[in-house]
Amino acid sequence: MPVYVTMPQLSDTMSEGVVVKWIKKEGDPVKQGNIIAEVETDKATMEMEAFDAGTVAQLLAKEGDKIAVGQPIAVLATGKETVEQGKQWHSQQGGKAAAAPSAPAAAPAEVAKPAAIEASTVAAPAPAAATAVAAPPPPSHAHSGDNGRTLRVSPLARRIASDKGIDLTQLQGSGPEGRIIQRDVLAYTPSALPPAPVGSGQKELIPLTKMRLTIAKRLLGSKQNIPHFYESMDVDVEELSVLRVQMNKRLEKEKIKLSLGDFVSKAVAMALIEHPGLNATFDGAQITRFGDVHLGMAVAIPDGLIVPVLKNIHRLSVKEIRQRSVDLAERARAQKLKQDEMSGATFTVSNLGAYGVKEFSAIINPPEVGILAVGAAEKRAVVRGDAIVARTMMTVTLSADHRVVDGATAAEFLRTLKGFLQEPGMMLA
Amino acid sequence: MSVITLRESLRAAMTEEMERDERVFLMGEEVAQYNGAYKVSEGMLAKFGPKRIIDTPISEAGFAGLGVGAAATGLRPIIEFMSWSFTLVCMDQIMNNAANVRYMSGGQFKIPVVFRGGNGIAHQLGATHSHRMESVYSRVPGLIVVAPSSPANAKGLLKSSIRCDDPVIFLESEKMLADVGEVPDSTEFTLPLGIANIERPGKDVTVISYGRPLQRAVRPAVQALVKDHNVDVELIDLQTLRPLDLPTILESIKKTNRCVIIDEDWGYCGMGSGILYKIQKPAFDYLDAPIEYVHSDEIPVPFNHFLEEAMMPSVDRIVSSVKEVCYK
Repeated sequence: MPVYVTMPQLSDTMSEGVVVKWIKKEGDPVKQGNIIAEVETDKATMEMEAFDAGTVAQLLAKEGDKIAVGQPIAVLATGKETVEQGKQWHSQQGGKAAAAPSAPAAAPAEVAKPAAIEASTVAAPAPAAATAVAAPPPPSHAHSGDNGRTLRVSPLARRIASDKGIDLTQLQGSGPEGRIIQRDVLAYTPSALPPAPVGSGQKELIPLTKMRLTIAKRLLGSKQNIPHFYESMDVDVEELSVLRVQMNKRLEKEKIKLSLGDFVSKAVAMALIEHPGLNATFDGAQITRFGDVHLGMAVAIPDGLIVPVLKNIHRLSVKEIRQRSVDLAERARAQKLKQDEMSGATFTVSNLGAYGVKEFSAIINPPEVGILAVGAAEKRAVVRGDAIVARTMMTVTLSADHRVVDGATAAEFLRTLKGFLQEPGMMLA
Repeated sequence: MSVITLRESLRAAMTEEMERDERVFLMGEEVAQYNGAYKVSEGMLAKFGPKRIIDTPISEAGFAGLGVGAAATGLRPIIEFMSWSFTLVCMDQIMNNAANVRYMSGGQFKIPVVFRGGNGIAHQLGATHSHRMESVYSRVPGLIVVAPSSPANAKGLLKSSIRCDDPVIFLESEKMLADVGEVPDSTEFTLPLGIANIERPGKDVTVISYGRPLQRAVRPAVQALVKDHNVDVELIDLQTLRPLDLPTILESIKKTNRCVIIDEDWGYCGMGSGILYKIQKPAFDYLDAPIEYVHSDEIPVPFNHFLEEAMMPSVDRIVSSVKEVCYK
């Protein structure tokens, strides 16, 4: 059946795009992933990939046309239809030419959203990149598969996957024509266990999952397009650790156990309010600073990661931060987050302390301008006065986008952050 | 228990019921003087006399209607057809009258009649004598349709059919009359109508069939699947085609997640199509593969032995369909 090729949302802020050049003409065969057009967004001119394979039946937009995100720009015959049948289908659909946004305020959220999902599904070729911290993977699409065609799933397999919260797009079907059947879903174990070692003399070919593909493209885009610079600071968290233990004793009956990461999140939020230069996004043309902090929180899941967003974290207590982040992380692992719980971050924190990582640097999640990498808290020998003493220390590393953030700005943010962490009482001030 | 033929078990059922209830009588072509065209009623004339074992002319429309009338006025006739193919000329008596009189009289009349005889393809009888009439009658509200598959269930089901107050279509096969099996001797041995029999419990796939197709091809296929292909088949013998025992079928599919239906009907609007229609929605979320339906080719039944064999579901076709739904 023919499908529409729609104007993709190639960046968070894109509401319309200009078809600069058609690479494919009517009648041209198209493979999934082929470049079919060049599109100018609010940021840059980018290549637009086909989501589906087929034949271009009709171009609905002329070169130079400005089209709202989500509006059709071409008709693609994906089955055995001829170009003529594709055109016929289009006229049956109401057959309008591509429409420009009626007003600057156009591209309403309703239109933009599904397009955003599609864009991320095909790993938008935008520089829209992820960080250590990939962008939210697409929500589980029960209906579209890797090649953009229908994902074949037996009803039983679909039901089991839904009950277990398994993303069907992660599975390889073993039934006819790749149908995902019961045994495929039952064999899928989304455990965090390390994969079985590859036997000596053997090799193993792993096709990329959609999430892996998205992460790969976005991280590459971020590193290629953003001039990262890094600043590290050692923080003495001895007092904070004591405070944490005391608070956890009091919270025991509520079954809440605060982590150092929760305090770090709180401190980051408060520091960002003081340094809005880092609580910002940059679209290539202008900087947007935010009065509220929406903190992205990188969560590892089997073969990938998801970044749920703690909205308005600056208004939350440490206890609330704990409760919300546990909920988000659990649902992230079950892949049950809603789209709006994975978007809209103004800054991101990636914490590998639990793995004992001393320090690391993270890749920025565009359009954000900074990300904080948090290492493990550990006893280290440090100099206090003229003596060497054992203190609980933690190293944090800020990655920032040098196009819009300067070294001193980053350093001031880190100093404020360090202040909150070393004198946690100041977070109450 | 006695080991007897299916022919003898049918005779035992009729004889016992005639001894039990003097309103029961048998009527049909050659049932009396000739001792039955297929010897089902052998000896019954001698036992019960000409008032209760009645020969008729070749006049299906006449004696089928006579049966409906006799049932409406208080008797319990058993009407024997030499072939169910011949009932095409008495469709009005069965489909209009027998099925509807109880409803249209507001329950004032009931029609406790049993129509019985050989159904389906019975080896080189040609296109006009090989009709599989089950899908025709199983469509009709007001009728009960029964298809035995063994000497034992033939007896139990026929006795229940004779005791039933509604018209029963009882589908035998000439090709099964000589089948031998253990049959309970008890005159009170009956099997409930509307209840399917799980002939072989299994966990891998639900195979549904009945009557002659079950006896001819499905049982050997199931044996091969279990023995040579390591498929643990759950075999359901429907026994009653209308009303369909949906709960038993669905419970089985919920366990096995796959289903193959086999009959000798034409596929389009065939018996299996009707069964498929009844189960696909309630079973949908439990299915791991599309339901398969193995049926005869959509051609007039050939007289030629080899062509006749070729049009019907073979053991090979059944085995490969079952393996297909098992993804084997």
